[in-house]
Amino acid sequence: MSTRTGAETRSVSTWGGRVQLSFQVVGTGPALVYVPPLGGLVWDDFLLKIAETHTIFAPELPGTSAGDTFSIHEVDDVFDLVLIYEEALRTLGLVGAPVIGQSLGGMIAAELSSCFPDLFGHVVLLDPAGLWFPEHPWNLDVLTGPPSELPGLLFADPSAERPRAMLALPDDPEAAIDALAQLTWTMGCGAKFVWPVPDRGLVKRLHRITAQVLVVWGQDDRVIPPVYAQEFASRIPRSEVHVLPACGHIPQVEQMESTYKLVTDFLTDEHDC
Amino acid sequence: MKLTYIQHIPYRHLPDDFQSRHTESVVTNAFHELVEPDLVHDDLRSALDESMYAARAGFDAVAMTEHGGSSYDINPNPDLGAAALAYATEVENLPVGIYTVGRSLGKSREPLRVAEEQAWLDCLSGGRLISGFPVGLAYDANVNAGVPPIETRARYDENFELVLRAWTAREPFPWNGRFSQSMAVNIWPRPMQSPHPPVSITGVGNPNTTRFALQRDLGFNLVVLGGDPKRLAAPIFDTMWSMAGEMGLDNNPYRTAMAVTVLVGDTDEQAAHLYSRHVEYSLARGIGHIPMHRLALPGGISPQGLKALLSRQAPAAGHNAAPSYAEAVTAGAVVAGSPATVREILADYARSFRLGNLLVFLQVGSMPKELTMHNIDLFTAEVAPYLRPIWSEYDDDNRWWPVRLGGQPVSQMQAEMTGARLT
Repeated sequence: MSTRTGAETRSVSTWGGRVQLSFQVVGTGPALVYVPPLGGLVWDDFLLKIAETHTIFAPELPGTSAGDTFSIHEVDDVFDLVLIYEEALRTLGLVGAPVIGQSLGGMIAAELSSCFPDLFGHVVLLDPAGLWFPEHPWNLDVLTGPPSELPGLLFADPSAERPRAMLALPDDPEAAIDALAQLTWTMGCGAKFVWPVPDRGLVKRLHRITAQVLVVWGQDDRVIPPVYAQEFASRIPRSEVHVLPACGHIPQVEQMESTYKLVTDFLTDEHDC
Repeated sequence: MKLTYIQHIPYRHLPDDFQSRHTESVVTNAFHELVEPDLVHDDLRSALDESMYAARAGFDAVAMTEHGGSSYDINPNPDLGAAALAYATEVENLPVGIYTVGRSLGKSREPLRVAEEQAWLDCLSGGRLISGFPVGLAYDANVNAGVPPIETRARYDENFELVLRAWTAREPFPWNGRFSQSMAVNIWPRPMQSPHPPVSITGVGNPNTTRFALQRDLGFNLVVLGGDPKRLAAPIFDTMWSMAGEMGLDNNPYRTAMAVTVLVGDTDEQAAHLYSRHVEYSLARGIGHIPMHRLALPGGISPQGLKALLSRQAPAAGHNAAPSYAEAVTAGAVVAGSPATVREILADYARSFRLGNLLVFLQVGSMPKELTMHNIDLFTAEVAPYLRPIWSEYDDDNRWWPVRLGGQPVSQMQAEMTGARLT
C-alpha cells in the first residue's frame, strides 16, 4: 500500500496479536522514528526534507489506521501504549534509531525513552505534552473548544502559508467530511492518553532517559506554555533546549527551516550535550 | 399511554444580559457572579413542590434528570430528588412511578453506588422505581467528570452489566472490570421489584443506542431538544421499528418514550402571553445556550457516526441569537397553545411514532411555581384525558412499568450477562 507521498505501510503484530500497529515508511538512508501529534500524521515539508536523508518510520496510533477503528479499545493507558510501541520497534529492528516526537508524539517518545533507555540514541521533543504543574496550568482547548479557535491555538500566525496548508480540507465536500471525521476520531484516540489533565506521571520517569535529547519549543505556544521547555530539560540528564521566536505549538510547520537545522545538526553532531 | 411529569431544576433568575456576557449555561458559567444562594434554595424547593403537585394531579410518574455543572438543571444526581419524592409520595399514598431518567452510567465512576442507591429508592418507594441509565452528555461525562470521550461507551457497558448483576445476583460475587473492581459485590438493599426495576436508556438518534435498547428489551427514551419531532424524531423511530421487526421483536409502543416541553393556555394567544418570556429565557439562558462543542467531543462518536452527523447541516449554536417563542413553537421545539392545539399535536406524535410514553416538561426556564402549577392543572384537566386511551390495547402488556403500578415483570434480556453492548 502507498500514499501520494510514496509512503509504504508496514504492519506489525503486537500485544499478543490484539493490535496490528501500522507504520508509514518514507525516505532513504538510516532509520528514524517519527511519532505524530494528536491530529495524526501529516507528511509536511519538514518530514519530507528529513526523508531525503533518513527512512522515516511513523507509527499510527492504534484506532487511527484505515479500517481498524476499534483497536484503540485494546489499549487501556499510556503503559499499554508504551509496551505496544516498544514491541513493534524491536520487531522492526529500529533499536538505536533516533526519534522525533511532536506534542502527544513527544510525550510518547519521552515515555518510551524513560521506560526503555536503550531504545533510542537521540531524542527530539517538539513542544511535547506530558508535564503539568499547577503553577503553569494548561488545558485541552484544542479538544474541548470550538473548532473555529483551533488555528489560533496552534499557530503564532495561522494566516501564514504552511499553517494554512496544514489545516486545509479537501475541496470536494464529501472528501472534506471524510477527512474531518477521520481527524476528529484520530484526536479522540489520542485524547485517551492526555484526558482530562495531560499528566500520566512522566515527571517521575524523565530522569531515566540516557539518550541525548533536543527540546524545541515555540515561544508563542498557546497550547503548552514554553516554560515547560526548561522543565523538561532540567529533568533529563543530557539535554539541550531551544525556544524559537514567532512560533506556536508546531515548530516543524511554523519555523520549518530553523527547526530542520536544529534537528539535523543535533542528529549529525557527535558532541555530548 | 403513560404520562410522566419530568422536572429540570433551572436557576430561574439569570440576568437579561446573560447570553451576551456568558458563552454557555454549562461548564464555565460563573456561579458566584450569577447566583443568590437564597434563590437556589427557592428553586430547589419549587422544583420538588412542582413535582409533588404533578404527582397529586395524577401523573403516572415523576421524573428527574442528571446534569452536573449546569445552570439549566441544577441536578448532580437524580437520586437525590427522587429520594425526596419517593418518601413524600409514599407518605401521601400516591400510586406514582419514581423515574430517574438520567443516572448516567458512562459518567459514573462508582457503579456500585448507583446500584445501591437505586435499590434503596426502589425499597423506599415500595417498588415504584423506573431506572433510566443514559450514556451521559459529553460536557457532563467527559468535561465535568473527566472520562475520556472514547471510554464513555465502554464504561457504560461495564457499569450497566455490573449494576444489573449486583441487583439480581443471589450470592456475593467478585468483579474484575477495567473500570472498577470489587472483592465481593453484595449490595444492601437489593431492589424490591423482581427481578429488578424496569430500565430505560435515553438516546439522541445514534442507531447503536437504539439497537442496544431493542436487544436488551430496554425502554427507549428519545430526546430531540430544539427541533421539530415530526422531522427529527420520525426517522429515528421509523428506524427503530424496522430494526425491531428485523430482530423478530414486538412493536409494543410502551418500549418508547419521548420528552417534550408542553405549555398550555386557555387559547393559543394566552399561552403565548403566559409562557413566551420563560421559553425565551430557556432558549437564551438555559438549555438552548449550550454550544455544539459541549455536546460532541473527539472520540465520543465513531468515524461512521461522525460522517453521518457532518453530512447533516449541524444546527447553529453558541453566540447566535436564540429563537423567539413564536419561532420555537413554529419549529416544533416546544408544544404550546390551547388544550385543543396541544392535544392534537401530542396525539399525533403518540400515534405516528408509536409512543407509549410521553415525558412532559411543564416548567421551563424562569417559569415561577404558580404558573407551573397552572400549566399542570390545564394539562391534567384538558390534555391528559385525551391522550391516556391511546395504546390502551397494550396496557396489560407493559413490561417497562413497575408491577405495583400495573406493569409486567421486566424481560430477562435486560440483565442478560452475555447480552448486547453499546461499544
